[in-house]
Amino acid sequence: MDESLRQFEDIPGVVWVPPPEEFITVDRDACTGCGDCVRVCLASVFRLREGKAEVARLERCMECAACFFVCEPGAVDFQWPKFGTGYRSEWG
Amino acid sequence: MSDYDVIVVGAGFGGPVAAKKCAEAGLSTLILERAAVPGEKVISSLTIPFYGFLFGPSWIRDGDPPIERPVSGIRNFFVKEGKTFAKDCSFRVPRPFGPRVSIGYTTYCRPFCTWLADRAVEAGAELRTSVTAVDVIKENGKVQGVVTDRGEELRSRMLLDSEGLQNLLGIKAGIRKRYLPEVVELCLLLDFEMPKEEIDRVCGYNLEYFWGMPEEEIIAPLGYGSAVYIFPYRESIHMTIGCFLKAEDEVAPAVRTLDAYYERFFQTDRWQSEYAPHTKLRARIWDTCPIYAGLHPEMREMPTFTDNMLLLGDAAGMEAAAIADGVPTAWFSAEIAADTTIEALKAGDTSADFLSRYDQRLRAHPLITALITDPHRRDLKYAAINVSEKEMRKRVHNGWGFGMMKHLTWPVTKAVVGSMWRKPSIPFRWMNMFNRYYKLYR
Repeated sequence: MDESLRQFEDIPGVVWVPPPEEFITVDRDACTGCGDCVRVCLASVFRLREGKAEVARLERCMECAACFFVCEPGAVDFQWPKFGTGYRSEWG
Repeated sequence: MSDYDVIVVGAGFGGPVAAKKCAEAGLSTLILERAAVPGEKVISSLTIPFYGFLFGPSWIRDGDPPIERPVSGIRNFFVKEGKTFAKDCSFRVPRPFGPRVSIGYTTYCRPFCTWLADRAVEAGAELRTSVTAVDVIKENGKVQGVVTDRGEELRSRMLLDSEGLQNLLGIKAGIRKRYLPEVVELCLLLDFEMPKEEIDRVCGYNLEYFWGMPEEEIIAPLGYGSAVYIFPYRESIHMTIGCFLKAEDEVAPAVRTLDAYYERFFQTDRWQSEYAPHTKLRARIWDTCPIYAGLHPEMREMPTFTDNMLLLGDAAGMEAAAIADGVPTAWFSAEIAADTTIEALKAGDTSADFLSRYDQRLRAHPLITALITDPHRRDLKYAAINVSEKEMRKRVHNGWGFGMMKHLTWPVTKAVVGSMWRKPSIPFRWMNMFNRYYKLYR
Protein backbone atom coordinates (compact mmCIF):
# COMPACT_ATOMS: atom_id res chain seq x y z
CA MET A 1 0.00 0.00 0.00
CA ASP A 2 1.00 3.58 -0.65
CA GLU A 3 3.08 4.69 2.34
CA SER A 4 1.55 8.12 2.47
CA LEU A 5 -1.89 6.65 3.26
CA ARG A 6 -3.06 6.59 6.87
CA GLN A 7 -5.32 4.19 8.69
CA PHE A 8 -6.70 4.00 12.21
CA GLU A 9 -7.45 0.84 14.10
CA ASP A 10 -10.82 2.03 15.41
CA ILE A 11 -12.00 3.07 11.92
CA PRO A 12 -11.49 0.01 9.73
CA GLY A 13 -12.33 0.10 6.03
CA VAL A 14 -11.10 3.66 5.49
CA VAL A 15 -7.80 5.14 4.34
CA TRP A 16 -6.78 8.78 4.45
CA VAL A 17 -4.64 10.78 2.06
CA PRO A 18 -3.16 13.58 4.18
CA PRO A 19 -4.57 16.96 3.11
CA PRO A 20 -2.18 19.74 2.11
CA GLU A 21 -3.66 22.16 4.64
CA GLU A 22 -6.20 22.44 7.44
CA PHE A 23 -9.72 22.45 6.02
CA ILE A 24 -11.60 22.83 9.30
CA THR A 25 -10.78 25.80 11.49
CA VAL A 26 -12.32 27.28 14.62
CA ASP A 27 -12.67 31.01 15.06
CA ARG A 28 -11.57 31.36 18.69
CA ASP A 29 -13.27 34.73 19.07
CA ALA A 30 -16.63 33.39 17.92
CA CYS A 31 -16.35 30.08 19.83
CA THR A 32 -18.42 30.00 23.02
CA GLY A 33 -16.77 26.83 24.29
CA CYS A 34 -20.09 24.96 24.39
CA GLY A 35 -18.41 21.75 23.28
CA ASP A 36 -21.10 20.70 20.80
CA CYS A 37 -18.50 20.02 18.08
CA VAL A 38 -16.57 17.84 20.51
CA ARG A 39 -19.73 15.87 21.35
CA VAL A 40 -20.94 15.19 17.82
CA CYS A 41 -17.62 14.27 16.23
CA LEU A 42 -17.31 10.52 15.87
CA ALA A 43 -13.66 10.91 14.85
CA SER A 44 -12.70 12.89 17.99
CA VAL A 45 -11.25 15.63 15.83
CA PHE A 46 -11.96 18.39 18.36
CA ARG A 47 -10.94 19.10 21.94
CA LEU A 48 -11.58 21.92 24.38
CA ARG A 49 -8.62 23.91 25.58
CA GLU A 50 -8.87 26.96 27.83
CA GLY A 51 -12.61 27.09 27.29
CA LYS A 52 -12.42 27.07 23.48
CA ALA A 53 -12.71 24.35 20.88
CA GLU A 54 -9.75 23.53 18.74
CA VAL A 55 -8.99 21.12 15.93
CA ALA A 56 -6.69 18.46 17.31
CA ARG A 57 -6.85 15.33 15.13
CA LEU A 58 -7.97 16.43 11.70
CA GLU A 59 -6.24 13.45 10.12
CA ARG A 60 -9.20 11.25 11.24
CA CYS A 61 -11.94 13.46 9.76
CA MET A 62 -14.64 11.75 7.66
CA GLU A 63 -15.85 15.11 6.26
CA CYS A 64 -19.44 14.64 7.51
CA ALA A 65 -19.56 18.29 8.64
CA ALA A 66 -21.58 17.49 11.79
CA CYS A 67 -19.39 20.06 13.59
CA PHE A 68 -20.32 22.69 11.01
CA PHE A 69 -24.05 21.98 11.38
CA VAL A 70 -24.17 22.05 15.18
CA CYS A 71 -22.02 25.12 15.76
CA GLU A 72 -24.62 27.72 16.67
CA PRO A 73 -22.35 30.79 16.59
CA GLY A 74 -20.86 29.59 13.30
CA ALA A 75 -17.34 29.43 14.70
CA VAL A 76 -16.49 26.19 12.88
CA ASP A 77 -15.43 26.86 9.31
CA PHE A 78 -15.74 23.76 7.17
CA GLN A 79 -14.20 23.50 3.69
CA TRP A 80 -13.27 20.47 1.61
CA PRO A 81 -9.79 18.96 1.71
CA LYS A 82 -8.14 19.86 -1.60
CA PHE A 83 -6.68 17.86 -4.50
CA GLY A 84 -8.58 14.62 -3.86
CA THR A 85 -7.18 14.19 -0.35
CA GLY A 86 -9.01 13.16 2.80
CA TYR A 87 -10.80 9.91 3.46
CA ARG A 88 -11.44 7.14 0.94
CA SER A 89 -13.63 4.10 1.43
CA GLU A 90 -14.73 1.21 -0.73
CA TRP A 91 -17.48 0.24 1.68
CA GLY A 92 -19.77 3.27 1.75
CA MET B 1 -16.48 33.89 -22.80
CA SER B 2 -17.42 30.57 -21.21
CA ASP B 3 -15.17 27.55 -20.99
CA TYR B 4 -18.19 25.23 -20.86
CA ASP B 5 -21.91 25.38 -21.43
CA VAL B 6 -22.50 23.49 -18.20
CA ILE B 7 -20.39 22.73 -15.15
CA VAL B 8 -21.73 20.06 -12.80
CA VAL B 9 -20.26 19.99 -9.32
CA GLY B 10 -20.19 16.52 -7.78
CA ALA B 11 -20.24 13.01 -9.24
CA GLY B 12 -22.40 11.39 -6.60
CA PHE B 13 -25.83 10.04 -7.51
CA GLY B 14 -27.34 13.19 -9.04
CA GLY B 15 -24.50 14.97 -10.85
CA PRO B 16 -23.73 12.33 -13.52
CA VAL B 17 -27.44 11.97 -14.36
CA ALA B 18 -27.73 15.70 -15.07
CA ALA B 19 -24.39 15.75 -16.91
CA LYS B 20 -25.26 12.85 -19.20
CA LYS B 21 -28.46 14.48 -20.32
CA CYS B 22 -26.76 17.83 -20.97
CA ALA B 23 -23.93 16.17 -22.90
CA GLU B 24 -26.41 14.21 -25.01
CA ALA B 25 -28.11 17.47 -25.93
CA GLY B 26 -24.79 18.61 -27.40
CA LEU B 27 -23.80 20.93 -24.55
CA SER B 28 -20.14 21.02 -23.55
CA THR B 29 -20.34 19.62 -20.04
CA LEU B 30 -17.72 19.34 -17.29
CA ILE B 31 -18.14 17.35 -14.08
CA LEU B 32 -15.92 18.29 -11.16
CA GLU B 33 -15.53 15.63 -8.47
CA ARG B 34 -13.54 16.26 -5.33
CA ALA B 35 -12.77 12.57 -4.71
CA ALA B 36 -10.16 10.62 -6.66
CA VAL B 37 -12.82 8.06 -7.63
CA PRO B 38 -16.55 8.91 -7.93
CA GLY B 39 -18.50 7.57 -4.96
CA GLU B 40 -15.60 6.81 -2.64
CA LYS B 41 -16.67 9.71 -0.43
CA VAL B 42 -20.33 8.74 -0.48
CA ILE B 43 -21.43 6.75 2.55
CA SER B 44 -24.82 5.16 2.99
CA SER B 45 -26.59 1.99 3.97
CA LEU B 46 -28.27 2.09 0.66
CA THR B 47 -31.36 0.44 -0.68
CA ILE B 48 -32.38 2.40 -3.75
CA PRO B 49 -36.20 2.18 -3.83
CA PHE B 50 -37.89 0.68 -6.87
CA TYR B 51 -39.59 3.94 -7.83
CA GLY B 52 -36.18 5.50 -8.51
CA PHE B 53 -35.61 2.88 -11.20
CA LEU B 54 -39.16 2.95 -12.56
CA PHE B 55 -39.56 6.71 -12.82
CA GLY B 56 -35.92 7.82 -12.92
CA PRO B 57 -33.52 7.88 -15.88
CA SER B 58 -34.45 5.26 -18.49
CA TRP B 59 -30.78 4.41 -19.12
CA ILE B 60 -30.39 3.30 -15.51
CA ARG B 61 -33.58 1.26 -15.71
CA ASP B 62 -32.52 -0.35 -19.00
CA GLY B 63 -28.85 -0.63 -18.06
CA ASP B 64 -26.81 -2.97 -15.89
CA PRO B 65 -25.91 -0.97 -12.78
CA PRO B 66 -23.82 -2.70 -10.11
CA ILE B 67 -26.51 -3.73 -7.63
CA GLU B 68 -25.78 -5.91 -4.62
CA ARG B 69 -29.09 -7.62 -3.84
CA PRO B 70 -32.79 -7.20 -4.60
CA VAL B 71 -34.92 -6.41 -1.57
CA SER B 72 -38.54 -7.49 -1.52
CA GLY B 73 -39.51 -6.96 2.10
CA ILE B 74 -38.96 -5.31 5.45
CA ARG B 75 -39.06 -7.36 8.62
CA ASN B 76 -39.67 -5.35 11.76
CA PHE B 77 -38.43 -6.91 14.98
CA PHE B 78 -39.14 -5.73 18.47
CA VAL B 79 -36.59 -6.10 21.20
CA LYS B 80 -37.72 -6.79 24.75
CA GLU B 81 -35.32 -7.66 27.53
CA GLY B 82 -32.72 -8.61 24.97
CA LYS B 83 -35.07 -10.96 23.10
CA THR B 84 -36.12 -10.16 19.57
CA PHE B 85 -39.41 -11.16 18.10
CA ALA B 86 -41.14 -10.39 14.84
CA LYS B 87 -44.86 -10.24 15.06
CA ASP B 88 -46.80 -7.91 12.86
CA CYS B 89 -45.71 -4.82 10.99
CA SER B 90 -43.72 -6.66 8.36
CA PHE B 91 -43.96 -5.95 4.68
CA ARG B 92 -43.12 -8.28 1.81
CA VAL B 93 -43.88 -8.60 -1.88
CA PRO B 94 -45.72 -11.96 -1.91
CA ARG B 95 -44.32 -14.91 -3.79
CA PRO B 96 -44.24 -15.78 -6.66
CA PHE B 97 -43.70 -12.06 -7.49
CA GLY B 98 -41.00 -11.43 -4.90
CA PRO B 99 -38.04 -11.31 -4.80
CA ARG B 100 -38.02 -10.85 -8.55
CA VAL B 101 -40.38 -7.90 -8.14
CA SER B 102 -38.51 -5.82 -5.60
CA ILE B 103 -39.08 -2.78 -3.47
CA GLY B 104 -35.45 -1.79 -3.90
CA TYR B 105 -31.87 -2.82 -4.53
CA THR B 106 -28.98 -2.57 -2.11
CA THR B 107 -25.70 -1.25 -3.46
CA TYR B 108 -22.28 0.10 -2.53
CA CYS B 109 -21.91 3.76 -3.41
CA ARG B 110 -18.46 3.70 -5.01
CA PRO B 111 -19.17 1.21 -7.83
CA PHE B 112 -22.62 2.69 -8.42
CA CYS B 113 -21.47 6.32 -8.65
CA THR B 114 -18.50 5.27 -10.80
CA TRP B 115 -20.91 3.44 -13.11
CA LEU B 116 -23.10 6.55 -13.38
CA ALA B 117 -20.10 8.81 -14.04
CA ASP B 118 -18.80 6.42 -16.71
CA ARG B 119 -22.14 6.63 -18.54
CA ALA B 120 -21.95 10.46 -18.44
CA VAL B 121 -18.42 10.34 -19.86
CA GLU B 122 -19.55 7.96 -22.62
CA ALA B 123 -22.21 10.51 -23.53
CA GLY B 124 -19.51 13.12 -24.00
CA ALA B 125 -19.19 14.82 -20.62
CA GLU B 126 -15.72 15.57 -19.33
CA LEU B 127 -14.96 14.29 -15.82
CA ARG B 128 -12.21 15.75 -13.68
CA THR B 129 -11.60 13.91 -10.42
CA SER B 130 -9.55 15.07 -7.41
CA VAL B 131 -10.65 18.61 -8.23
CA THR B 132 -12.64 20.59 -5.68
CA ALA B 133 -14.78 23.57 -6.57
CA VAL B 134 -13.87 25.91 -3.71
CA ASP B 135 -15.88 28.97 -4.69
CA VAL B 136 -18.24 30.42 -7.28
CA ILE B 137 -17.20 33.17 -9.66
CA LYS B 138 -19.64 36.04 -9.21
CA GLU B 139 -19.86 39.04 -11.48
CA ASN B 140 -22.51 41.74 -11.21
CA GLY B 141 -24.10 39.59 -8.53
CA LYS B 142 -24.47 36.63 -10.88
CA VAL B 143 -22.79 33.24 -10.79
CA GLN B 144 -20.47 32.75 -13.78
CA GLY B 145 -18.67 29.53 -12.92
CA VAL B 146 -16.41 28.12 -10.23
CA VAL B 147 -12.92 28.50 -8.83
CA THR B 148 -11.08 25.21 -8.29
CA ASP B 149 -8.64 24.21 -5.56
CA ARG B 150 -5.86 24.83 -8.10
CA GLY B 151 -6.93 28.46 -8.36
CA GLU B 152 -8.25 27.90 -11.86
CA GLU B 153 -11.30 29.93 -12.88
CA LEU B 154 -13.73 27.83 -14.92
CA ARG B 155 -16.56 29.75 -16.53
CA SER B 156 -19.83 28.25 -17.63
CA ARG B 157 -23.18 29.45 -18.90
CA MET B 158 -24.91 27.23 -16.34
CA LEU B 159 -23.74 25.79 -13.04
CA LEU B 160 -25.46 22.66 -11.70
CA ASP B 161 -24.67 22.18 -8.04
CA SER B 162 -24.96 18.61 -6.81
CA GLU B 163 -22.43 19.03 -4.05
CA GLY B 164 -24.41 17.30 -1.32
CA LEU B 165 -25.82 18.45 1.98
CA GLN B 166 -22.87 20.58 3.09
CA ASN B 167 -24.00 23.07 0.43
CA LEU B 168 -20.81 25.11 0.54
CA LEU B 169 -21.22 26.50 -2.99
CA GLY B 170 -24.89 27.30 -2.45
CA ILE B 171 -23.91 29.25 0.67
CA LYS B 172 -21.10 31.04 -1.20
CA ALA B 173 -23.52 31.88 -4.01
CA GLY B 174 -25.66 33.54 -1.35
CA ILE B 175 -28.82 31.49 -1.85
CA ARG B 176 -28.60 28.78 0.82
CA LYS B 177 -27.94 28.56 4.54
CA ARG B 178 -26.43 25.74 6.53
CA TYR B 179 -28.97 23.01 7.21
CA LEU B 180 -30.19 23.25 10.79
CA PRO B 181 -28.91 20.41 12.97
CA GLU B 182 -32.55 19.43 13.66
CA VAL B 183 -32.93 18.15 10.09
CA VAL B 184 -29.58 16.38 9.84
CA GLU B 185 -29.11 12.79 10.94
CA LEU B 186 -25.69 11.39 11.66
CA CYS B 187 -25.52 7.69 10.83
CA LEU B 188 -22.87 5.30 12.06
CA LEU B 189 -22.54 2.36 9.69
CA LEU B 190 -20.87 -0.99 10.09
CA ASP B 191 -20.05 -3.21 7.13
CA PHE B 192 -19.63 -6.92 7.85
CA GLU B 193 -18.49 -9.68 5.55
CA MET B 194 -20.94 -12.59 5.70
CA PRO B 195 -21.16 -15.68 3.44
CA LYS B 196 -23.90 -15.45 0.83
CA GLU B 197 -25.58 -18.69 1.90
CA GLU B 198 -25.85 -17.43 5.49
CA ILE B 199 -27.42 -14.16 4.35
CA ASP B 200 -29.83 -16.14 2.18
CA ARG B 201 -30.76 -18.24 5.20
CA VAL B 202 -31.00 -15.48 7.81
CA CYS B 203 -32.55 -12.51 6.03
CA GLY B 204 -32.87 -13.55 2.41
CA TYR B 205 -34.26 -10.60 0.51
CA ASN B 206 -35.53 -8.68 3.54
CA LEU B 207 -34.26 -5.61 5.28
CA GLU B 208 -34.33 -6.20 9.03
CA TYR B 209 -35.29 -3.36 11.35
CA PHE B 210 -35.06 -3.63 15.12
CA TRP B 211 -37.22 -1.50 17.38
CA GLY B 212 -37.41 -1.19 21.12
CA MET B 213 -38.85 0.97 23.83
CA PRO B 214 -36.39 3.44 25.38
CA GLU B 215 -35.51 1.16 28.29
CA GLU B 216 -34.07 -1.35 25.84
CA GLU B 217 -31.48 1.25 24.83
CA ILE B 218 -31.08 0.07 21.29
CA ILE B 219 -32.41 3.23 19.64
CA ALA B 220 -30.24 6.28 20.26
CA PRO B 221 -31.84 9.05 22.35
CA LEU B 222 -32.31 11.42 19.44
CA GLY B 223 -32.88 8.60 17.02
CA TYR B 224 -36.01 10.32 15.82
CA GLY B 225 -37.65 7.45 14.06
CA SER B 226 -34.54 5.45 13.34
CA ALA B 227 -34.23 1.82 14.27
CA VAL B 228 -31.25 -0.48 14.09
CA TYR B 229 -31.17 -1.35 10.42
CA ILE B 230 -29.59 -4.39 8.78
CA PHE B 231 -29.32 -4.29 4.99
CA PRO B 232 -28.37 -7.50 3.17
CA TYR B 233 -25.85 -7.06 0.37
CA ARG B 234 -24.51 -9.83 -1.85
CA GLU B 235 -21.82 -11.19 0.45
CA SER B 236 -21.93 -8.66 3.23
CA ILE B 237 -24.37 -6.80 5.44
CA HIS B 238 -24.54 -3.09 6.19
CA MET B 239 -25.85 -1.89 9.54
CA THR B 240 -26.88 1.60 10.58
CA ILE B 241 -27.75 3.40 13.78
CA GLY B 242 -28.68 7.04 13.37
CA CYS B 243 -29.12 10.04 15.58
CA PHE B 244 -30.25 13.58 14.81
CA LEU B 245 -27.72 16.27 15.59
CA LYS B 246 -30.23 18.25 17.59
CA ALA B 247 -33.75 17.84 18.89
CA GLU B 248 -35.81 19.93 21.25
CA ASP B 249 -32.84 22.18 21.95
CA GLU B 250 -30.67 19.29 22.98
CA VAL B 251 -27.53 18.60 21.00
CA ALA B 252 -26.97 14.93 20.45
CA PRO B 253 -25.04 13.46 23.34
CA ALA B 254 -24.92 11.42 20.47
CA VAL B 255 -22.80 10.28 18.89
CA ARG B 256 -20.28 9.13 21.36
CA THR B 257 -23.01 6.82 22.53
CA LEU B 258 -23.86 5.32 19.14
CA ASP B 259 -21.19 2.70 19.70
CA ALA B 260 -22.72 1.90 23.07
CA TYR B 261 -26.05 1.29 21.36
CA TYR B 262 -24.42 -1.10 18.96
CA GLU B 263 -22.93 -2.93 21.92
CA ARG B 264 -26.41 -3.31 23.43
CA PHE B 265 -27.79 -4.55 20.15
CA PHE B 266 -25.01 -7.08 19.78
CA GLN B 267 -26.24 -8.70 23.02
CA THR B 268 -29.69 -9.45 21.59
CA ASP B 269 -30.52 -13.06 20.86
CA ARG B 270 -31.07 -12.73 17.13
CA TRP B 271 -27.71 -11.10 16.54
CA GLN B 272 -25.96 -13.57 18.81
CA SER B 273 -27.42 -16.69 17.25
CA GLU B 274 -27.93 -15.78 13.58
CA TYR B 275 -25.41 -13.11 12.71
CA ALA B 276 -22.49 -13.07 15.13
CA PRO B 277 -21.08 -16.55 14.24
CA HIS B 278 -20.92 -15.66 10.54
CA THR B 279 -19.88 -12.02 10.40
CA LYS B 280 -16.56 -10.27 10.34
CA LEU B 281 -16.34 -6.49 10.71
CA ARG B 282 -14.85 -4.84 7.64
CA ALA B 283 -15.64 -1.12 7.94
CA ARG B 284 -16.84 1.43 10.48
CA ILE B 285 -17.88 4.58 8.70
CA TRP B 286 -20.32 7.45 9.14
CA ASP B 287 -21.92 10.35 7.38
CA THR B 288 -24.60 12.99 7.78
CA CYS B 289 -27.85 13.17 5.86
CA PRO B 290 -30.45 16.02 5.71
CA ILE B 291 -33.36 13.62 6.11
CA TYR B 292 -35.93 16.07 7.44
CA ALA B 293 -35.02 19.12 5.31
CA GLY B 294 -38.37 18.79 3.55
CA LEU B 295 -40.27 18.74 6.84
CA HIS B 296 -38.83 22.02 8.06
CA PRO B 297 -40.61 24.98 6.39
CA GLU B 298 -37.60 27.29 6.53
CA MET B 299 -35.26 24.68 5.09
CA ARG B 300 -37.76 23.52 2.49
CA GLU B 301 -38.31 27.05 1.18
CA MET B 302 -34.64 27.84 0.55
CA PRO B 303 -34.09 28.65 -3.14
CA THR B 304 -33.06 25.90 -5.54
CA PHE B 305 -32.00 28.28 -8.28
CA THR B 306 -30.49 31.67 -8.97
CA ASP B 307 -29.16 33.35 -12.12
CA ASN B 308 -27.16 30.76 -14.11
CA MET B 309 -27.33 28.15 -11.36
CA LEU B 310 -29.53 25.22 -10.26
CA LEU B 311 -29.17 23.00 -7.21
CA LEU B 312 -30.15 19.36 -7.15
CA GLY B 313 -30.12 16.34 -4.85
CA ASP B 314 -29.20 16.82 -1.19
CA ALA B 315 -27.90 20.32 -2.01
CA ALA B 316 -31.51 21.22 -2.83
CA GLY B 317 -33.07 19.33 0.10
CA MET B 318 -34.17 16.39 -2.05
CA GLU B 319 -34.21 13.84 0.73
CA ALA B 320 -37.21 11.54 1.17
CA ALA B 321 -38.22 12.04 4.80
CA ALA B 322 -40.64 9.15 4.32
CA ILE B 323 -37.95 6.52 4.02
CA ALA B 324 -34.67 8.33 4.60
CA ASP B 325 -33.38 7.94 1.10
CA GLY B 326 -32.12 10.56 -1.31
CA VAL B 327 -31.21 8.69 -4.48
CA PRO B 328 -34.48 8.65 -6.48
CA THR B 329 -35.21 12.26 -5.59
CA ALA B 330 -31.64 13.18 -6.65
CA TRP B 331 -32.27 11.41 -9.99
CA PHE B 332 -35.64 13.10 -10.52
CA SER B 333 -34.25 16.54 -9.70
CA ALA B 334 -31.15 15.91 -11.86
CA GLU B 335 -33.27 15.11 -14.92
CA ILE B 336 -35.50 18.13 -14.35
CA ALA B 337 -32.41 20.32 -13.84
CA ALA B 338 -30.91 19.05 -17.10
CA ASP B 339 -34.16 19.63 -19.04
CA THR B 340 -34.41 23.14 -17.65
CA THR B 341 -30.75 23.84 -18.46
CA ILE B 342 -31.13 22.64 -22.04
CA GLU B 343 -34.21 24.83 -22.54
CA ALA B 344 -32.57 27.83 -20.94
CA LEU B 345 -29.45 27.61 -23.09
CA LYS B 346 -31.52 27.09 -26.21
CA ALA B 347 -33.58 30.15 -25.35
CA GLY B 348 -30.42 32.08 -24.47
CA ASP B 349 -31.98 32.99 -21.15
CA THR B 350 -30.43 31.65 -17.95
CA SER B 351 -31.89 34.31 -15.67
CA ALA B 352 -33.42 33.36 -12.34
CA ASP B 353 -36.73 34.38 -13.83
CA PHE B 354 -36.48 31.76 -16.58
CA LEU B 355 -35.01 29.14 -14.25
CA SER B 356 -37.89 29.48 -11.79
CA ARG B 357 -39.65 26.83 -13.88
CA TYR B 358 -37.18 24.35 -12.36
CA ASP B 359 -38.66 24.91 -8.92
CA GLN B 360 -42.20 24.73 -10.27
CA ARG B 361 -41.41 21.39 -11.90
CA LEU B 362 -39.90 19.99 -8.73
CA ARG B 363 -43.09 20.92 -6.89
CA ALA B 364 -45.31 19.49 -9.63
CA HIS B 365 -43.49 16.14 -9.71
CA PRO B 366 -45.85 13.37 -8.54
CA LEU B 367 -43.36 11.90 -6.08
CA ILE B 368 -40.85 14.53 -4.93
CA THR B 369 -43.08 16.64 -2.70
CA ALA B 370 -44.93 13.64 -1.32
CA LEU B 371 -41.65 11.98 -0.36
CA ILE B 372 -39.79 14.94 1.12
CA THR B 373 -42.72 16.10 3.25
CA ASP B 374 -43.94 12.74 4.56
CA PRO B 375 -43.98 12.89 8.39
CA HIS B 376 -44.62 9.24 9.28
CA ARG B 377 -41.03 8.30 9.94
CA ARG B 378 -40.53 11.36 12.12
CA ASP B 379 -43.66 10.50 14.08
CA LEU B 380 -41.92 7.37 15.26
CA LYS B 381 -39.76 9.52 17.44
CA TYR B 382 -42.72 10.38 19.61
CA ALA B 383 -43.68 6.77 19.69
CA ALA B 384 -40.28 5.83 21.04
CA ILE B 385 -40.25 8.57 23.64
CA ASN B 386 -43.60 8.72 25.28
CA VAL B 387 -46.23 6.28 24.19
CA SER B 388 -47.13 2.71 24.93
CA GLU B 389 -45.57 -0.27 23.26
CA LYS B 390 -48.85 -0.91 21.46
CA GLU B 391 -48.91 2.59 20.01
CA MET B 392 -45.25 2.24 19.04
CA ARG B 393 -46.05 -0.89 17.05
CA LYS B 394 -48.93 0.80 15.33
CA ARG B 395 -46.65 3.61 14.26
CA VAL B 396 -43.97 1.22 13.06
CA HIS B 397 -46.69 -0.45 11.02
CA ASN B 398 -47.60 2.94 9.51
CA GLY B 399 -44.02 3.99 8.95
CA TRP B 400 -42.40 0.77 7.82
CA GLY B 401 -45.03 -1.94 7.46
CA PHE B 402 -48.04 -2.41 5.24
CA GLY B 403 -49.26 0.96 6.56
CA MET B 404 -46.71 2.52 4.20
CA MET B 405 -49.08 1.67 1.41
CA LYS B 406 -51.60 4.14 2.77
CA HIS B 407 -49.44 7.17 2.18
CA LEU B 408 -47.23 5.99 -0.68
CA THR B 409 -49.82 4.33 -2.92
CA TRP B 410 -51.37 7.56 -4.16
CA PRO B 411 -48.16 9.34 -5.26
CA VAL B 412 -46.80 6.13 -6.81
CA THR B 413 -50.11 5.58 -8.63
CA LYS B 414 -49.97 9.13 -9.96
CA ALA B 415 -46.44 8.48 -11.23
CA VAL B 416 -47.50 5.18 -12.83
CA VAL B 417 -50.46 6.79 -14.59
CA GLY B 418 -48.30 9.72 -15.73
CA SER B 419 -45.66 7.35 -17.16
CA MET B 420 -48.26 5.22 -18.94
CA TRP B 421 -49.93 8.31 -20.35
CA ARG B 422 -46.65 9.29 -21.98
CA LYS B 423 -45.70 5.73 -22.99
CA PRO B 424 -48.41 3.05 -22.76
CA SER B 425 -45.93 0.20 -23.22
CA ILE B 426 -43.87 1.22 -20.19
CA PRO B 427 -45.04 -1.64 -17.89
CA PHE B 428 -43.21 -4.08 -20.17
CA ARG B 429 -40.02 -2.10 -19.62
CA TRP B 430 -40.61 -2.31 -15.88
CA MET B 431 -41.13 -6.06 -15.91
CA ASN B 432 -38.05 -6.38 -18.07
CA MET B 433 -36.09 -4.40 -15.55
CA PHE B 434 -37.17 -6.53 -12.59
CA ASN B 435 -36.23 -9.67 -14.50
CA ARG B 436 -32.92 -8.37 -15.73
CA TYR B 437 -31.85 -6.98 -12.36
CA TYR B 438 -32.75 -10.30 -10.76
CA LYS B 439 -30.56 -12.08 -13.31
CA LEU B 440 -27.78 -9.56 -12.71
CA TYR B 441 -27.94 -10.48 -9.05
CA ARG B 442 -28.03 -14.22 -9.67
